[in-house]
Amino acid sequence: MKAGEQGLKQTVTGAPERLGRLLVMPLLAILGAVLIYPVLFTARVSVQDYRLNALDQVEFIGTEHYASLITNATFINALRNTAVFVVTAVTLELILGLALALAVQRLGPTRDGVRSILLMPMFVTPIAVGLIFRFLLNQQLGLIPPLLDLFGFRIDFFGPDLALLSLALIDVWQWTPLMFLMMLAGLESLPKAPFEAARVDGASTWFTFRRVTLPLLRPAIIIAVVIRMLDALRVFEYVFAITRGGPGQTTDTIQYLIYRVGFQFFRLGEASAMAYVLVAFVLVLVAVLIWLTRKGESA
Amino acid sequence: MSRTKEPSPVTSRSVRSRLFTALRLGFVVLAVIAVLVPFLWLVASSLKPAPALSAGPFEPFRPQLGWWRDVLASDVRVSLVRSAVVGLVTVGISVVAGSLGGYAISRFGTGGRTLRFGVLSGQMIPPAVLVIPLFLIAFQFGLNDSLPAVIAAHLTFVLPLTTWFLIGFFDAVPREYEEQARVDGYTRFQAFWKVVLPQVRPGIGAAAIFGFILSWNDLFYALILAGGQARTLPVAIAGFNTFRGVELGEMSVAILLSAVPVLIASFFVQRRLIQGLGAGGLKG
Repeated sequence: MKAGEQGLKQTVTGAPERLGRLLVMPLLAILGAVLIYPVLFTARVSVQDYRLNALDQVEFIGTEHYASLITNATFINALRNTAVFVVTAVTLELILGLALALAVQRLGPTRDGVRSILLMPMFVTPIAVGLIFRFLLNQQLGLIPPLLDLFGFRIDFFGPDLALLSLALIDVWQWTPLMFLMMLAGLESLPKAPFEAARVDGASTWFTFRRVTLPLLRPAIIIAVVIRMLDALRVFEYVFAITRGGPGQTTDTIQYLIYRVGFQFFRLGEASAMAYVLVAFVLVLVAVLIWLTRKGESA
Repeated sequence: MSRTKEPSPVTSRSVRSRLFTALRLGFVVLAVIAVLVPFLWLVASSLKPAPALSAGPFEPFRPQLGWWRDVLASDVRVSLVRSAVVGLVTVGISVVAGSLGGYAISRFGTGGRTLRFGVLSGQMIPPAVLVIPLFLIAFQFGLNDSLPAVIAAHLTFVLPLTTWFLIGFFDAVPREYEEQARVDGYTRFQAFWKVVLPQVRPGIGAAAIFGFILSWNDLFYALILAGGQARTLPVAIAGFNTFRGVELGEMSVAILLSAVPVLIASFFVQRRLIQGLGAGGLKG
């Protein structure tokens, strides 16, 4: 393998690119097979009259599915429910997660233990979390309603008025830990000097938080919020475990609707179109993220 | 603390700060209780005999292991093994492809920024978009209701995340290590294999455990791609939610069987997870 001066020069300049290309090959091959090809496949199905129980009658129908979605009340309702769910859950998670991170960061020797406990919910499978809360909040079998009874309250957590909010609160129980973790990581990576300066100037705790912590933490907050929003958009397990979209259609979310239309009613073409509308929302969200970070950098 | 702008009475300030500390501790204690109560209730439900389950939460009961015996003798055991197989295979493929690719992206800038950030864009695609073609492709290959279909689906989220974490960990290894190895006569690949890889082994371990947990916990793909004969553990757990009522005791056991291993594993990766989020996630 030993080559002359010429060959050595070539290995130094040429080889990294070659080796690099070779090393990313398996990664690209797998991602191509399980991500890129399916994404294109769905695009094709979404412009076809593709029904699982009529596979011999698949026809190209153009944008018909997309056009009919605009007036599809069930679809609009699911989008609205999903938006309410995402905004409610992620807002509460951000407030609680940031507050917890600030509180836990200043704990003494108990810090690591407390952190470990607080992170527990995010490691449990969401379907289990859904079922746990279905029964915790059950009037006969549960724990919370009998406790509320002691104070004379009676709340129907999964009635038409509160079901969506209850599902959002379950999301808060499970995913505030992730927000807390991301905020903690953000806080730990902040520079020390600005806090020192604020302390020397005698700034109040609140002032330091508003004028030092929050601005420095801004990039971490934006990323954390988007990660959680993208994830919350996929809410499925809690709906599947507890309400199945009901009562009425008050908790029908987009991912649950796509599951029903595609895999219970076998209308995969229509479900694909719905999925692509969801992608459009995701892209808008991500574009807003990029815009927000750019704005932060230029300011 | 003594250098305040305006001379305020020392006592009122210390009272206020002590009140603030108390509030902060109270908040943390409340959060810990809110986290632990559902777990304790689950453990209690798994030990309660049938009559006690419907008797209300505050009735005393005599613990028994009947539900545990029943569930451990049932199909749930097989589902647990399936979930473990899916998780291990998914993570195995992800760690190999992710560390090779991640190293190239980190060191040689292969694919430029497009690939570095494009890897993560897989994470943004909603499962609803991917599950339809994966289902149809599996159907064409006669792989519907089988574990390979679930593994393919789990690769869509475990592989990008593993790669992303590993890029961050590789970035953190000083380049001098490889330069020294090259001077010592190693090829580029040997430098990667024998020098850099051991450096990021703890990171790989953490990424692997995290990827395993993500795969282990998935319901959506497993339900659609293998909801019949090849049910994984989350699908089996969802099966306790039938419309003829729920077997609360058995359900609690199944949930604990699913949750306890990952909770134990999670304690080992938390520290690394914070580093990974700090390094890979925020530098971008």
